[in-house]
Amino acid sequence: MMRVQNTAPEGFIALDNSALIYPPTEAVFNANTFRMSLDLAQTIRPEILELAAHDLMTRCSYAKVSLHKGFFWYFLSPNTKEMVIHPEGSYPSGRFFFKENNSYLLRVVYSSHRIGVECFHALTDGSGALAYLKLLVERYCHHAGIADFAFPGGLDFEQKPTKQEFSDPFQHLYDKTLPSYPKISKAYHRKGTGSFDDRVKVISATVKTAEIKNRAKARGITIGEYLSSVFLYALQQLQMKEVPKQKNRKPIRLSVPMNLRKIFGYDTMRNFTLFAVIGIEPALGSYTFDEITKEVHLQMGLSQDRKRLLSQIRRNVMGERTPLIRFAPNVLKNPLFKLLSDFLGDDQYSGVISNIGQMALPPELSDSIRRIDFHLSPGLLNKVAVAVIGYLDTLVINFTSFFNEDTELERLFCTFLVEDGIPVTLSTNRNTET
Amino acid sequence: MAYCVICGVKLEEGSKRCPLCNTEVHLPQGVEEQPSEPLFAQPLPPAGMGGITKTRKGVIELILSLFVVSELTVALSMILSGNLAYSFIPLFSIAMATLSLILAFSNKPTFSRQASIQLLLIALYLLGIDAVDLSLSWSLVASPALGLLWMYSIFPTHARMSKAPRRSAVLVVCATLAYLAIVNVVFSGSLTWFLPVALPSLLVLVLLCTLFLFWFSKRRNKTIPLADIVLGTLVVLFLSATVFDLVLSKYQRGVFILRWSDSLLLSGLIIFLFLVSVSVSRRVRRYFTSHNRHV
Repeated sequence: MMRVQNTAPEGFIALDNSALIYPPTEAVFNANTFRMSLDLAQTIRPEILELAAHDLMTRCSYAKVSLHKGFFWYFLSPNTKEMVIHPEGSYPSGRFFFKENNSYLLRVVYSSHRIGVECFHALTDGSGALAYLKLLVERYCHHAGIADFAFPGGLDFEQKPTKQEFSDPFQHLYDKTLPSYPKISKAYHRKGTGSFDDRVKVISATVKTAEIKNRAKARGITIGEYLSSVFLYALQQLQMKEVPKQKNRKPIRLSVPMNLRKIFGYDTMRNFTLFAVIGIEPALGSYTFDEITKEVHLQMGLSQDRKRLLSQIRRNVMGERTPLIRFAPNVLKNPLFKLLSDFLGDDQYSGVISNIGQMALPPELSDSIRRIDFHLSPGLLNKVAVAVIGYLDTLVINFTSFFNEDTELERLFCTFLVEDGIPVTLSTNRNTET
Repeated sequence: MAYCVICGVKLEEGSKRCPLCNTEVHLPQGVEEQPSEPLFAQPLPPAGMGGITKTRKGVIELILSLFVVSELTVALSMILSGNLAYSFIPLFSIAMATLSLILAFSNKPTFSRQASIQLLLIALYLLGIDAVDLSLSWSLVASPALGLLWMYSIFPTHARMSKAPRRSAVLVVCATLAYLAIVNVVFSGSLTWFLPVALPSLLVLVLLCTLFLFWFSKRRNKTIPLADIVLGTLVVLFLSATVFDLVLSKYQRGVFILRWSDSLLLSGLIIFLFLVSVSVSRRVRRYFTSHNRHV
């Protein structure tokens, strides 16, 4: 395995390449946060959770940082304040209030049975936060006397943090001789109906992993590809209603985060993901679900190609290294980054679906798990985000949305699963009383 | 556990409605379900609480404290320097600036709402500083001008008006006429030039616009080429300018004569004939379009 030296001086840690975009673009409707949580059968005791969170400060030094606004760039620096834990609120993945969290970019939340980690994306990606959550649950269970175990594939609490955990592999993989990744056209964005506000409304669909796996296997695709296809199919139906003329229909694309750790063999705990942009062209005609699955399978395969990924890294890092950008003050750079975030990000896709995969559990914990969740913050342009996580024999699909009444996308998604023979159980934080 | 009869999904225990399609849950008689544990520890706060966050509250408190300090400082300095009679404008300006900032922070950051509030505040501010000598003069023209700006730039973008563009256009024309009438009354004391000059000129402009829009909308090819739009606009402007010249000469000299607009009239008529010939004759149209480019 390659070793990457962290060349950042003490007290000043440069943001990794993909994190650069998050602080300047952070806004009410663009929180750039996500949440992972784990529900235990036992009642959570906050004082023990606080102890567990303090335990992690040395081992997970990558999380022991605060964000600062420098003259040229945002940067991280070691945080000497105490880590605080927060009782759970009404919804996940809302806007992050750094001051309330002692300037940490990672927020530990708890409720009667839940331990959760909410993370501002500038710190780390899903894998980094998941590693933290696993270790936090390990330490909590240890202190609470529930069990002593270690999560398979998690960080080792006894080991010292390595420099690689703090490295930015994007800089290492940057090759200026490669051609830049091509820009793609604007995608379809669903307008939706009714009002919306910054409260994150969640609809959580739970399905049996084996059933969804069978349906995906029958079509020769993975679970992630199957869910992406369902999402595209639902968006296609919505666009057909919104835009009756076929030639006026825009491409429907999804942004699917890809974990690059396995592809490039790095163990960093900071952001190391790129987005596969997969989609269909409804202007060419209506797609059947099987046609969509073929497109998705093909495009996902191409997106994971090492050469294409390196070209994408080249484009992203090149921007950061351009002297004009490098030496421009932050006040000038921030509006530019907001524009870039739209042009190279939100404009190009119609939705986000993030599949963190199956969370392997130690046998000691299997009986104590009630539920595991993963939530993404929605955006202003794409107001519904989908996050998927699996545990034991269950798959949880969480739809987070800014819309107050409009649940049409979620309805099309879930009814497709039901029609395809997959029973779906729903729960929500929306008001279903009246 | 109940199932939604429309979506076919299983609902959590105690659900009254399906979250996807809002269909009511009907349990068999005698069956009661206990509400299941909520998805999150606290229920969703009511809508409308999202607008003002803790940070925003802090900012508003800061603005209010700065307002009090600056008002006191200005008032004291005016009293001590013996210029209390002139203190209205600075004190009023500070109060309006504070109100503007507070409304900007406490309202939803939508373009139409924020722009409407700020334009209204500026209009009130102009009226206020004009009323220092207890009479209104120039502000009676300046403040309605902001109202007219609102009618042109913000009113048509309102969700209800963007669905009814014709109604919106009629209201904008009426607002323009009303503004011109106000300007006339403020400067001349009565409707001197409004009725003989402004009203006919504007009505001709609106009539020509309507005729062209009607003509273009009735054409077989629904997509109007950019060249047609530009030429149509030129015809409308040239002919309206001719009418303006005519009514102005009648108002000033008592006779209908063309003083400076004869060349505009001629150009307008030539362009109009060209548009008609392009629309009527396929041959002419093909000559000027890309169909013959590769011949």
